[in-house]
Amino acid sequence: MQRRTRIALVAATAVAALSLAACSSGGGGTATDAMTSHGPISIWYSNNAAEVEWGKGMVEAWNADHPDEQITAQEIPAGKSSEEVITAAITAGTTPCLVFNNLPAATGQFQKQGGLVDLSKFDDGTSYIEARSGAIADQYKSADGGFYQLPWKSNPVMIFYNKDLFTAAGLDAENPPLSTYDEFLASAKQLVSSGAATYAINPSPTSEFFQPNFDFIPLYAAQTGGKGIVEDGKATFANDDGYAVADFWSSIYSDDLAGKEKYEGDAFVDGKAAMAIVGPWAIAYYGEKIANWGAVPVPTENGTPADETYTFSDAKSVGMYSSCENQGTAWDVLKFATSEEQDGQLLDITGQMPIRTDLATTYSDYFAANPDYEVFGDQANRTVEDPTDPESVAMMQALRDAYTKAIISGDGDARSALDEAAKKIDSLAGQG
Amino acid sequence: MSRTSTKLSRPQTILRAVVLGAGAILFLFPFYYMVIGSLQLTPDTSVAGAFPSPDNITTANYEAINSRINLFAGLINSGIFTGGVVLCTVVFGVLAGYALAILKWRGRGATFALVLLVQVVPFQLLMIPLYVLIARNYGLSDNYLGMILPFAINSTAVLVFRQYFLQLPRELFDAARIDGAGELTLLRRVALPLVRPAIVTAVLLTFIGPWNEFLWPFLITKDAAMQPLAVSLANYVTNVAASTANPYGSVLAGAVVLAAPVVILFIVFQRYFVSTDVGSAVKG
Amino acid sequence: MSSSTTRRGDRVRSPRRDPGTTDARPAARRPLLSRVLGVQPIGWLFGAPYLVFAIVVFAYPLVFAIYMSFFDYFFSAPGVEVDKPFVGLDNYIAVLTDPAVLQSFGNVLVFLVINVPLTVVLSIVLATALNKVVHLRTFLRVSYYVPYVTASVALVGVWLFLFGGGGLVNNVLGPLAPDPSWLVNPALAMPTIALFVTWKQLGFYILLYLAALQNVPQELYESASTDGAGPIRSFFSVTVPGVRQATVLVLMLSTIIGANLFTEPYLLTGGGGPNGASASPVLIMYQRGIQQGHPGFAAALGIILTIAVLIVALLQRRFAGGRDE
Repeated sequence: MQRRTRIALVAATAVAALSLAACSSGGGGTATDAMTSHGPISIWYSNNAAEVEWGKGMVEAWNADHPDEQITAQEIPAGKSSEEVITAAITAGTTPCLVFNNLPAATGQFQKQGGLVDLSKFDDGTSYIEARSGAIADQYKSADGGFYQLPWKSNPVMIFYNKDLFTAAGLDAENPPLSTYDEFLASAKQLVSSGAATYAINPSPTSEFFQPNFDFIPLYAAQTGGKGIVEDGKATFANDDGYAVADFWSSIYSDDLAGKEKYEGDAFVDGKAAMAIVGPWAIAYYGEKIANWGAVPVPTENGTPADETYTFSDAKSVGMYSSCENQGTAWDVLKFATSEEQDGQLLDITGQMPIRTDLATTYSDYFAANPDYEVFGDQANRTVEDPTDPESVAMMQALRDAYTKAIISGDGDARSALDEAAKKIDSLAGQG
Repeated sequence: MSRTSTKLSRPQTILRAVVLGAGAILFLFPFYYMVIGSLQLTPDTSVAGAFPSPDNITTANYEAINSRINLFAGLINSGIFTGGVVLCTVVFGVLAGYALAILKWRGRGATFALVLLVQVVPFQLLMIPLYVLIARNYGLSDNYLGMILPFAINSTAVLVFRQYFLQLPRELFDAARIDGAGELTLLRRVALPLVRPAIVTAVLLTFIGPWNEFLWPFLITKDAAMQPLAVSLANYVTNVAASTANPYGSVLAGAVVLAAPVVILFIVFQRYFVSTDVGSAVKG
Repeated sequence: MSSSTTRRGDRVRSPRRDPGTTDARPAARRPLLSRVLGVQPIGWLFGAPYLVFAIVVFAYPLVFAIYMSFFDYFFSAPGVEVDKPFVGLDNYIAVLTDPAVLQSFGNVLVFLVINVPLTVVLSIVLATALNKVVHLRTFLRVSYYVPYVTASVALVGVWLFLFGGGGLVNNVLGPLAPDPSWLVNPALAMPTIALFVTWKQLGFYILLYLAALQNVPQELYESASTDGAGPIRSFFSVTVPGVRQATVLVLMLSTIIGANLFTEPYLLTGGGGPNGASASPVLIMYQRGIQQGHPGFAAALGIILTIAVLIVALLQRRFAGGRDE
């Protein structure tokens, strides 16, 4: 009996403690004392080798000059788990001050959770971000006009192609005919029918919500001259531009020019696919394996000059989290980590593009020494980001589900599937 | 083993050997394939790739892991985490299993239902509230205790022990009770020696859960110095695609590194699967 | 309570006077205690660590999940006010009318129908054979155990090697290979996953049976043998009834573990493809609750799933092995 009471007591205490914790006050979206507070902070950065190297250097440089405001850094995985880790940490109030690995599509959710600090509440917040990133910064603004993320670096995706396989298929490897949909499809057919490659191109055919970023979205951005899939709370793709992109990918899959099954490893590296849609981070990686590669912008229906073609950014932003006690220091660190010098380090070490207006001129030495990256540096000026709505992930999943069914599997009409997905996205936007 | 008193005829024995052998190959194949794949210089997913080829062999995948991960620290952390979990699992599992199988007490049915409930509820449903509870309310982040706690009592183990105790003949306990033995004595002197195979089973079955668990220890600690091997390897694997020549080989090498200690443990422990002849214990 | 037990407790040494403490000695001689706590109240003591654990660790998340399922809930940072309106049964209605959810329940049913019987039959047969084998015992046991210990990420690669479009199985089948291939064929994806899981988990169940087989009294085999029973008849007349408790357990565990299927569709078919044909309820729960930020919907789905599985598990126990109560 007594034992039972004791158990009940323990349970009651635990529940009470929890509800108390839930009611205690804390920082939200408004300017707070924390924003001017200085002291030690913690940060997380991505765990891939290149970014760890940059992160360590950045932290060391800062710590050397700021004995009272030391940074402690930890690594988190760049992959799928990082969003759930951050969601859980926000709920428990255990987030660090800064995370140098935010997925822009997840920002809306983190913001709605109350996990993020609105950077525009710092006196120089908006002006700093807009001066650094220019007009592209607008894509990272939330619906309430605040900046809950600092657009940090992008990996504008382009079509990588394997010159040797193109030559083997009898295609011009220096000026590959990949600009219009008709050219692209004809080249793709030739690559496969000639036996040069198993697949012309092999985007991941799986159902994860972020996969549209590497098939539908970049082509749609290019086709529309820079439109996102959702604008002002409405899906934009249920129209001729969206249909054109859908028909293009439908042809790719119905003619077996791309794999419909998950591929273990990287089909491009293994020489199974002649092309890949990927950003500049891959140069260092592909360069080792496929010496002879080239990169061109993604195709559009009627062909668009390279210097006018848009694409998906594959960007990461930096978020400042509301559980941070010394947000004043965090903001200083954020500015330090995105300064001209540190951005240069980032570019140099990782080959990823800092989201700055003056990229090509500021780092002209780098691009002169690494001509492979130049085309990506230029492409970085014309990128499109995923929506920043709290329902972004659900929206992208809706698009993905329609896409895998109608376009990859060829089950049903691609256009009406897009219409359905657009309708679902509109209703989701209403909830946000 | 001598216990086969119903003798098989020779063809039957051969049939059994063939079936078991074929099954063993089928079951061993993934492990073999994993080892081969982890030693390949370039991934070969064709059928020929399932056989070792001298000009496509390298230990680079292992060297890459070794250079990026502190294997020793990872093993120690895995040992602490898994050891803590297994110890709690066995001690509390035996007690609860014994209570559910042998003892008559009010609340037994409800407790059994609770065990089932805990077993049935998907972890994904509880994950975030559980993390909030442990990290925020109990303040156990970056702490081995916080890592161990959610796994400390394993419902599967409780069910295994319960099933095993149920299988023991009741007369065994009744006889000892008449002799005036207390329940704890009964458990220690009579039941435990008989369930040694069940303990070994429970250890081998529950060992693997925390050993391979990635998400929870990672949620609870971002401190690399405290992370178990599964976490460091998973972290390594999520980004090798960007940094090594043969990403798939690296994944497989990681899996081999993670599985090897478990296989060794199994080889050491499996010989305790010997019969404890209950029949003679009853008579004795 | 105290007075009624001291009368009978006279023979008991003094430290045990306090009847509220259920200590480690037989308490059966205290009638009231027995009436309240059962014949052997010490069961409470033995069960206590589990119960305390369940309350300290699981009660809050579980109660919280039930609570969430009645709200349009949203996980928020401590102290942040986010509108989380009470929605009554809306989440449950949404779950039960969502075609993707209904499809996932259908999928998991297909999975269970293939996986559970196969698991029970194969594991009892293989365990019996393994138990009797003399040569290469360690090797054989290790072989069957190995898929169970190998991390899923690696096994998925092996399975794609076997069942992928250009994989070994299709090469062997030649023109008989299904088109589209196994894992991208809506009709075959789930059965393929069910086979995969059976194969991966079988070592677990074989171990359970191996342990149970150690307790089948030897003389039962001897007397069966004297009665002239061959190995097959003694398998059915001695082994199968002898490990009945283990069979109930294997049945229940494989059902429960199968109903919580998550990792395999997540990894093997890249998130429940093709067209949701391999999506499981837990996968949908994960997508909606954790990825998309609708934990209320996910909680309702999780609770419906939990109740359904509990009912099935209890039915299995009743019909397959109720006699132990």
